[in-house]
Amino acid sequence: MNILAIDTSAQVASVCVLNENTILSEFSVNAKLTHSQTMMPMVRSALDCAKIELGQVDAFAVSAGPGSFTGIRIGVSAVKGLAMACGKPCAPVSTLEGLAYNLPECSGILCAAMDARCSQVYNALFRWEGGCLHRLCSDRAISIKDLGADLDKFDEKIFLVGDGADLCYNNLKEELPFLQSVPPHLKLQRAASAGLAAIKRLKAGETCTAAELMPVYLRLPQAERELLKKQGK
Amino acid sequence: MTFETRSPAETEALASAFANVLKPGAVIAYFGGMGAGKTAFTRGLAKGLGAAGEVSSPTFALVHEYQGEPPLIHFDMYRVSSLDDLYTTGYFDYLNGNNILAIEWSENIEEALPEDAVHVTFEVTGEESRRITIEGGPDFEYPSH
Repeated sequence: MNILAIDTSAQVASVCVLNENTILSEFSVNAKLTHSQTMMPMVRSALDCAKIELGQVDAFAVSAGPGSFTGIRIGVSAVKGLAMACGKPCAPVSTLEGLAYNLPECSGILCAAMDARCSQVYNALFRWEGGCLHRLCSDRAISIKDLGADLDKFDEKIFLVGDGADLCYNNLKEELPFLQSVPPHLKLQRAASAGLAAIKRLKAGETCTAAELMPVYLRLPQAERELLKKQGK
Repeated sequence: MTFETRSPAETEALASAFANVLKPGAVIAYFGGMGAGKTAFTRGLAKGLGAAGEVSSPTFALVHEYQGEPPLIHFDMYRVSSLDDLYTTGYFDYLNGNNILAIEWSENIEEALPEDAVHVTFEVTGEESRRITIEGGPDFEYPSH
């Protein structure tokens, strides 16, 4: 089964062609270029290098959110269009779950955190056990302070991944000595990781049609939203 | 720093001089009502950053992009009233350190402004004259008239 996976949920744009056993080709760019400049050329190159025709792709995987509003729309729209044209299924995956596949079999808690600005992160917690990824909470938008309070209950290593990892580490390391940062090649979104997360979904038959594919946005915490109410209007 | 300008052209010149000292990632938050000089100020910023093209208030589009070095992103937050609204303007995406943001009606998103945002307050002091107060930005030389 050939899979084309795309992640443009944040500043990295990443494209991968893979099957169950092999990463055939993968391209990632994190050079402050816009996704519209880089993504489709990378799709073309990834397929060419893997010697896979677009028609030989069996499923399209995409990081469907949470993440950057514009980035998610670009990735989801591209996959929607490709899948519709090819008449093949889509496998949307949580951006945070994809990040968890960057660090398989780590012993401890895996904390995926993406910078949602205003001292908030998109976050989910996972644990790897016996080759399986276990989710400890739903994807959520949470203030860094509240995340710190939640992580305080663990007394084992907590590995931080995602573009909010450094933000969390720098803000919480004093109170949470178990926090671990990871090196750059494991920290950010990779389409290969999203693709591997998608394979689990595909095996479970959890796919959708191009028409059904939708971006997943997380609502920012209610208290913060209320603060923005116009005053005197 | 407080400046008195005597015409839209002077407001523009002031902003142009200011643009020269701004670094990518700067957020310029405007405070002040209609006709107070915000569009003239933004026109000056765009000119100072080398962005070509017409500058107009993004009242309906919510955001205009001007391709300067760095790009200037011009927001009008008049109709933005919730954090969800703000998210769908792409505001948080533009806060990636690569752009300069100029934000009209910053009052409406004050809680979502970065801590180091530059506050620019516009006051009408006469038919053509304006008092412009810039707080929190880098020092710069304003050409004398």
